[in-house]
Amino acid sequence: MTSSMAEVRSRMTVDQRDAYLKGLVQRAKAAVPQELALETMRSRAEALLNEHAFPSARDEDWRFTDLADLLAIDFVAAGESSVSEADVADLRLSETAGAQVVVVNGRVSAERSQLQNLPDGVIVGSLRSHPDLQVVERLAQASGHHEVFTALNTVGFQDAVVVWLPRNTVVETPIQIIYVAQPEEPALLAQPRCLVVAESGSALTLIEDFSGPSAAPHFTNVVTELWLDANAQLTHSRIQREGAGTFHIGKTVVTQARDSQYIGTAVDFGSRLARHNWEIYQTGEQTTTKIYGLGAIAANQHIDTHSLVALSHPHGVVEQQHKVIVDDHAHSVFNGRMAVAQKAQLTSASQLNRNLLLSDKARVDTKPQLEIVADNVKCAHGATVSQLQADEIFYLQSRGISAPQAQRLLIYAFAMEMLETIAVETLRSRLAETISQWS
Amino acid sequence: MSASVQSLVSQPYKYGFTTNIEADVIPRGLSEDVVRMISAKKNEPEFMLEFRLRAYRKWLTMAEPVWPNVKYPPIDYQNIVYYSAPKTQPKKLGSLDEVDPTLLDTFEKLGIPLSEQKRLANVAVDAIFDSVSVATTFKEKLAESGVIFCSISEALQEHPDLVEKYLGTVIPIGDNYFAALNSAVFSDGSFVYIPKDTQCPMDLSTYFRINNGDSGQFERTLIVAEAGSSVTYLEGCTAPMYDSNQLHAAIVELVAMDDASINYSTVQNWFAGDENGKGGIYNFVTKRGLCAGKNSKISWTQVETGSAITWKYPSCVLVGDNSVGEFYSVALTNNYQQADTGTKMVHVGKNTRSTIISKGISAAKSKNSYRGLVKIGPKAEGARNYSQCDSMLIGDTSSANTFPYIQVQNSTAQVEHEASTSKIGEDQLFYFAQRGISPEDAVSMIISGFCRDVFNKLPMEFAAEADKLLALKLENTVG
Repeated sequence: MTSSMAEVRSRMTVDQRDAYLKGLVQRAKAAVPQELALETMRSRAEALLNEHAFPSARDEDWRFTDLADLLAIDFVAAGESSVSEADVADLRLSETAGAQVVVVNGRVSAERSQLQNLPDGVIVGSLRSHPDLQVVERLAQASGHHEVFTALNTVGFQDAVVVWLPRNTVVETPIQIIYVAQPEEPALLAQPRCLVVAESGSALTLIEDFSGPSAAPHFTNVVTELWLDANAQLTHSRIQREGAGTFHIGKTVVTQARDSQYIGTAVDFGSRLARHNWEIYQTGEQTTTKIYGLGAIAANQHIDTHSLVALSHPHGVVEQQHKVIVDDHAHSVFNGRMAVAQKAQLTSASQLNRNLLLSDKARVDTKPQLEIVADNVKCAHGATVSQLQADEIFYLQSRGISAPQAQRLLIYAFAMEMLETIAVETLRSRLAETISQWS
Repeated sequence: MSASVQSLVSQPYKYGFTTNIEADVIPRGLSEDVVRMISAKKNEPEFMLEFRLRAYRKWLTMAEPVWPNVKYPPIDYQNIVYYSAPKTQPKKLGSLDEVDPTLLDTFEKLGIPLSEQKRLANVAVDAIFDSVSVATTFKEKLAESGVIFCSISEALQEHPDLVEKYLGTVIPIGDNYFAALNSAVFSDGSFVYIPKDTQCPMDLSTYFRINNGDSGQFERTLIVAEAGSSVTYLEGCTAPMYDSNQLHAAIVELVAMDDASINYSTVQNWFAGDENGKGGIYNFVTKRGLCAGKNSKISWTQVETGSAITWKYPSCVLVGDNSVGEFYSVALTNNYQQADTGTKMVHVGKNTRSTIISKGISAAKSKNSYRGLVKIGPKAEGARNYSQCDSMLIGDTSSANTFPYIQVQNSTAQVEHEASTSKIGEDQLFYFAQRGISPEDAVSMIISGFCRDVFNKLPMEFAAEADKLLALKLENTVG
């Protein structure tokens, strides 16, 4: 522990942090609209918040991510706000035309959403416009809800995007959810919520795109629950490029039933502090899980990915790769946990974390963590931290490519391996564009 | 297969006998008076008492760590005997002949050559029985080359300045809960000083034996290697079988100056408890080496097979430029044993290098965790680390965990970490069976191959012992 960390920590006592959390909970609660009371669920989350303390660097899960700057701002719960078409036009992807939901500060904007291109029976839109939907068994029911920020979202979300696929439905058009952060004065707490249920045998591609053009302080606390029933297939891209003043804390919980397949790619470019808890729980045999992460940060940015793959049934296959490019004073944290329970025999799991450190002031803390109780498994993990290889740059130079250009090329290649897992062409090339400008 | 593997792992502990020897024991419990009493019994210089009291007061303010991946009932620190020594020991030993023959028998039984006739072994031994050192062999021969090898109590009498200069410099008294406890009550241990440009003429070794069922053992080892010197040090430990758990909280401090090198090997075989997890030693040990000088090197090799609970992270602090830290470990757990072990490599100086090879084998209902830290400081230009930790599971009720922490603050550093988990496959056993090799032999060969990277680093006699030890421990696990 450095002395500066201790100093920051001592700035706020446990009581002060608790008072801060209580205030946040009260304000979030007060802003909940009548028609989404969902009392049982919300009071359970509130009870949980009463028992849990606001995380500090003393908690293993938050050891390297200091929330002092967040604690310095008293966020108020966001209300209704709107965006102009010009603000979202650039974010719309040609592939997802007619399957786009726009969420502004946590509320679905009916005006901007375009949902004409969907098969019959598929529900996409705001939970408020589907009051009859039986969500009680799904919403806020996934494992991992006992975490402070997740519970805070459950207590206070004002709207939820619902994507519901009936049995054996295949949605050809990728569904894009555009989350826009619209900071105001005083700074806002926006709590988007998303529930995706893919009933057995269904398939879809989902894009969650978080953006915010403004650099003003803002707090996005998002929870996405993805349910894959038996045989369901979901390809998921989560793009986080919020503004330079945003604190982004996100939770993605994937619950995978037997024979389902989940392919997820999470890209983190934005925010001053971004934390992503990515949790995958297996509830049946023979699931396939492939998760890929890419982070590229500079200046004083801080990103933190905590992933958990919990296997409790036989024949699971897991592949994880997480790559981060860290420049300037940025700080990247990765904690990749794989828990293989005794029943999860014949699991095959691999995990690789690679970090590219481009500056002397940049910092990487990584912990690839394996917890294995089953004996008949194959698990491997690896982690590397390094700068660009001098011999690789030299090789390119010997072919007449200048050093800076060689560096850009190598960074591009490093990142592209992850971006290539994104199924939607336009999105992939836009992100590649961002990376190619990196130097 | 698992039933037979199971039977392979369970071998009786052959060092479990008790020696009936009259002991000088102080009452149970810990207080400032006890600390003073220990210090007085050992007739220590004033600075030592101060050191102990500071540690004791610090300890009172600290809390037992809860983060290790091990479970045990709360330890009653007031129910432990903090000092126990064989009574018949004369004030100062003229020669080995004066040592109580029962004691010599004990070490004979353990296979430790205390008698200097056995020169063939060519290893100098410091034997520690409960709280005190009973004999150190080859002292004169070592003294010829200027090497000091004696118990730390003796060092406090004869070389207080050296002890004062280095004690607690690598592991400060408040480093952690158990280190503070040790600093307050440590009873004995070994002290080694290798003068400048000296190659220690023989391997040094300490043998620890806990005998008293109620006593804790708190030994302290300090090794100082001056510029250009080198030494190889071996450590072995056993204890009798008791139903109760005994606490062993040791500290080992190593200091290596410019171009010095220290090789420290441990074969830890404390009593591990019976097959129901009753009894056994709590082995809470702090070991750390400081590569203070340029081009210095510290290498830890450990074979951990004993103890009910192991909590141990032999570490290297690489301060000197171009210094090297190494950690080679085999940790085997069986029955209800729990091990949370690994290393810390802290890179401070330029071009520092470290290698970590860790092999964990868990059988029956045991829990085996690798926990490691690789930290590259902002000034550690060109630092390099390679870590590999492999786990092998025998039976489907044991668990293997890895918690590698990697913290990098310098862009010129290169850190690589690799880990894998596997089991002894049916197909592997079948392959052996085809060639007429029994499952027992096959398992022992597979394990010995699995551990080879580490065994190769052990001194010869130790490597043979370690190989045998693992085979014994795993007997009847495969079937």
